[in-house]
Amino acid sequence: MRIRFVLALLLCLGFFAAPHTARAADPYRIGAVFPLSGSLAWLGEYYQKAAQLQVDLINGQGGVDGRPLELVVYDDQSSPEAAARAAQRLISRDRVIALIGTASVPLSGALATVAREQKVPTIVASGYTVNPARDPFVFNTAHKTDYAVERPFAYFSQKGLKRVAMLMPIGPLGDVGIASAEKAAAKHGIELVGTERFNPQSPDLTTQLAQLRAKKPDALFSFVTGEAAAMVARNMKQIRFDVPLLVSHGNATPGFLKMISSLDADILVPSGRLGAPDALDGSEPNARMIAEFNRRHVERYKEPANYFSGLAADAVLLVAEGLRRSKTDEGEKLRAAIEGIHEFPGYSGVFRLSATDHHGTSADDLVLLRPTSSGWALVK
Amino acid sequence: MPDAALLLQIAFGGLSMGAVYALLAVSLVMVYKVSRIVCFAQGEFFVIGGLTLSALTNEAAMPLWAAFLATLALAGVLGVFAERIVIRPVRHEGVGTVIVMTIALSISLQGIALPVWGREAHVVAPFVATPPWEFFGAFLSAQVLLVIGASVVVFVLLRTFFERTTLGLAMRAAAETPTGARLVGISVTRLTQFGWASGVALGALAGMLIAPVVFLTYASGTMPMVKAFVAMVVGGLSSTAGALAGGFLVGLLEACAIGFVSSEFADAIVFLFLIGFLLVRPGGLFGNDAGGGM
Repeated sequence: MRIRFVLALLLCLGFFAAPHTARAADPYRIGAVFPLSGSLAWLGEYYQKAAQLQVDLINGQGGVDGRPLELVVYDDQSSPEAAARAAQRLISRDRVIALIGTASVPLSGALATVAREQKVPTIVASGYTVNPARDPFVFNTAHKTDYAVERPFAYFSQKGLKRVAMLMPIGPLGDVGIASAEKAAAKHGIELVGTERFNPQSPDLTTQLAQLRAKKPDALFSFVTGEAAAMVARNMKQIRFDVPLLVSHGNATPGFLKMISSLDADILVPSGRLGAPDALDGSEPNARMIAEFNRRHVERYKEPANYFSGLAADAVLLVAEGLRRSKTDEGEKLRAAIEGIHEFPGYSGVFRLSATDHHGTSADDLVLLRPTSSGWALVK
Repeated sequence: MPDAALLLQIAFGGLSMGAVYALLAVSLVMVYKVSRIVCFAQGEFFVIGGLTLSALTNEAAMPLWAAFLATLALAGVLGVFAERIVIRPVRHEGVGTVIVMTIALSISLQGIALPVWGREAHVVAPFVATPPWEFFGAFLSAQVLLVIGASVVVFVLLRTFFERTTLGLAMRAAAETPTGARLVGISVTRLTQFGWASGVALGALAGMLIAPVVFLTYASGTMPMVKAFVAMVVGGLSSTAGALAGGFLVGLLEACAIGFVSSEFADAIVFLFLIGFLLVRPGGLFGNDAGGGM
């Protein structure tokens, strides 16, 4: 009788203890939504590589409080509808505790809507401006567009380039670029002399550029990335529109460098410091981690890390740090823990998140790069 | 009032865009003439042409002429396979089914191109290393002049082929009245296959010539394909001259919309023009084969 009682007790203990023990070793599942096909596919690849590398680096150091991280990746096909579907599926079917991704304002907007409805901490990496009052669960590792415009506009002002023309893509990205340029121009005493818009898939932009050239600007600002930015640079060279071209902070990539290397154009690209690891002097708080991440990136993928790599890796870092602080994967507590992250060095800068700032980085975390035949050079 | 240099640059911008649309529209017409269907995968054949040339010249370090011929041959083979595997099995199932098959082919080719060429844009050096030519303060790149020249040469060759050669006349007969063509001993199947090989090769030719003007990715075919289709419809569907004129008309209209109205509404203006044009002239600029168009 006594033996039976002890066995029953042990069974009961086993019943309650076993799942608990198993859960302690269960991975924290992070859902990633990246544009792996469609017009932004070139960017999604950088995100995916860096996020997976960061997850592996954290797991290599024992994970978060003994639990490994697991990345579940879906392709949003560069479409907001597909991004929303992927996010819903990650939450409902894959039971992820947080979402990371994606690129572009419309795609991030789709992810933010899901995060708002499902109350799942979500860290995007794009030009999407997060308003914490509206999107308490959404964070953004990309520098605020305002900073990415203000930093080069300060440089223009310092160099006496006071008349700036704008060639902006049709759509929300262009709208964001114009709004930021208007603020930065007012702050730094710069006159915006003209604005044209363009379809990023158009095979020729010389008409818009000729109209802007007629306004005699000192510099041109085009808030685009990838082949559209390269098209602007090439068409400027074609019509001998010889002024500095400022493009979006998303162009500090090997792919962009390859596209414009033969143009010999004067292009300025704002970037996080990971965009030019060789140009760091070692005094930066994130210098060592940037150098180490870049080394691992080259080792694994045979190519250096870039601005986008830093954004995706930072998203993983912030989720991991939030988990360490909250000791739970419950949505609201994890969100609050991420919001409380302060003076935390990441690849894109030092994060100072708060209830009113869900970006956390500042204009000082950005540098200006110029493409040269031997790679990126730091603009002083 | 804009100055002369600006007006000229708007015209050059229109010609540059028009050259892209025109050449692609001519390749669409080639396929249409021999099979009476619009091949919505033509944008992908355009991209595959440009990307293959990029791979052969940049990575395999082949001379340009050899890479050019190799790409054309490869595209021809691709056309034969597309016709044999995708189109022929459904050619009697109605136009709707065949068009859906070309859309499916387009998406499949994009899916194949992604792992082959990756996600990044590819660069092809201009065929002639001449700086852009200046005319009264406006500039036109030598490569665009090459594309315009090539469009005219392709048009003349196709016109001669379809009007003056036995094979060309047989191809038109095979497309218009297949049963009648068979009765006089024409192999409709072989001619259709040849037509697809030539049409796909023409699409690839457009891609190769335009690759130095743009930055091609595996997904670059969609927008030029849509505009080329507009050009084809404006030209009268089966008219090579119409496709050529339609392409330049669409390009110039787009540039004028950008220059004189608003760059934001340029695409909307092009499509509104298409609606208005078709209401006034449903047969297109040059009519079609049945109406004597070429």
